[in-house]
Amino acid sequence: MTGSVPFLKRAVLPLAAVAVVVLILAPLRLNGYAINLLYVTVLSIALAYGWNIISGYAGYFSFGQIAFFGVGSYATALIVVNWHWYWMAAALAGGVLALLLAIPLGYVMLRLRGPFFAMGMFGMAQMVRVLVTAIPATGSGSGLFLPPGSGITEVYYWTLAICVGAIGLTVWIDRSAFGLRLQALREDEQVAATLGVETTRAKITAFGLSALIPGLLGGGYALYLTYIEPDAVFSSRLDLQSIVMAILGGLGTVWGPLIGGLVMTQISEALWARFPQIYLMIFGGLLVVLLIALPRGIVPAFAARFARRSGT
Amino acid sequence: MTEPLLVVEGVSVAFGGVQALGDVSLEVREGEIFALIGPNGAGKTTLFNVISGVLRPDSGDVRFAGRSIVGWAPHRIARAGIARTYQIVRPFGRLSVVDNVAVGALVHARTIGQARNDARDVVAFVGLGAYADRPASSLTLTQRKRLEVARALALRPKLLLLDEVMAGLTPTEMDGMAEFVQHLSERGIAAVAGIEHVMRLVMRISHRIVVLDAGRRIAEGDPAAIQTDPAVIEAYLGAPLAGA
Repeated sequence: MTGSVPFLKRAVLPLAAVAVVVLILAPLRLNGYAINLLYVTVLSIALAYGWNIISGYAGYFSFGQIAFFGVGSYATALIVVNWHWYWMAAALAGGVLALLLAIPLGYVMLRLRGPFFAMGMFGMAQMVRVLVTAIPATGSGSGLFLPPGSGITEVYYWTLAICVGAIGLTVWIDRSAFGLRLQALREDEQVAATLGVETTRAKITAFGLSALIPGLLGGGYALYLTYIEPDAVFSSRLDLQSIVMAILGGLGTVWGPLIGGLVMTQISEALWARFPQIYLMIFGGLLVVLLIALPRGIVPAFAARFARRSGT
Repeated sequence: MTEPLLVVEGVSVAFGGVQALGDVSLEVREGEIFALIGPNGAGKTTLFNVISGVLRPDSGDVRFAGRSIVGWAPHRIARAGIARTYQIVRPFGRLSVVDNVAVGALVHARTIGQARNDARDVVAFVGLGAYADRPASSLTLTQRKRLEVARALALRPKLLLLDEVMAGLTPTEMDGMAEFVQHLSERGIAAVAGIEHVMRLVMRISHRIVVLDAGRRIAEGDPAAIQTDPAVIEAYLGAPLAGA
């Protein structure tokens, strides 16, 4: 017994507190490029946390959570442009709208399983995107300008707060009865049901939370871009990036999306600085190697090593 | 006279053109050990699926503690007091043994901590105490069978549906399982055990037996009556030779 795991557990809270303070003070010292990079990193990690609830904990692989990000973006833009709300209030409304939309959608979509759910969500995201752009007020395909004024710093703090909230939510889920029910239905839905788990309700709750987070983040992104159009906010690149982060870090783990996100951004930045022409190729190759070496992700691989060392 | 704990009345299920269950009826009383025997494909698992709410019957009624439970969602039936195990063991592989059992214990516990405590007791009760914190995927087949039973017991059921609990066990382990079921019966938990073979044990511990063959009930009675029933002998051993 080396006690490494209890030590790590005790170290988490102080470490987290220091990290949050550093992240809060960061904009004071960073240049424009660095703060943009920091914003996009925190955004992707927060998106990965949102995705991890329905796909990591409940085991429903979604390729459509970005739809809720797009809905949040457009809702915020429309409210700010037409009703002149303060943008954070509008972004909050965007998040609530995404949540309300997710409940009936989840009721229908979560009847599908495995690859059918994954494909269904992909199609659903396209449908939402077309519907949103069909509303004349969104400027259809040509996009929507937002009034300038709110700087990147405000957007960054909003996103950081949601990211911290999403991590806190995940910590709670991981320890709660709700989380145990989700993991049980991920492993075997029928057995979970015959053991008294109300699977439909648990799934829809998870789906709603996995929509609320991107919904809240979307408003910040609209402000960050100051001009939004469908391709920018229903971004499959952002969607895929956050999914890869969560998988690389460890599906259905508390720290997976964070570790996966940090590792990915660090590698990507280092490669980009040195091999600007071919960095994506090297990055892709590295990702393949990492996933082959650690098929369950970084966090489970290290957890297993610590458990072995401490002799449990 | 009150109604028996479980009443199955004229239940029929067809899969396409195959009649999996045809007009099957049976009654199980509180604390009774009830054996459901029949060759492979007789409809035992189908009947368990109907009772546990996984499958809706085409016709017929299932009543538990006086209320019809046809059309109830499986979780509601589980909470009402019917627990089941699966013929092919289905542990939540990535969860620990305790957490596997805690899922069922959540039905009665107020907090997850309490559910885990209750689960530890049940895990120790079925003899898996030493493996409580291991992932369920690391258990052997015999241990997984016990885990199935432990998960079901954590629901504190009045009725336990045991689908082929004896399959894959050694004779000694079968005796252990039989003793265990008798012990539960003494505590007032009724058990319906679906069993293909192992007649020696069935005859020893069952209070009553129903024999299914090709989805139909061909006999019912106590062990002594079943052993001499010509229909049962025919189902298991084939028709007597002409003129023999």
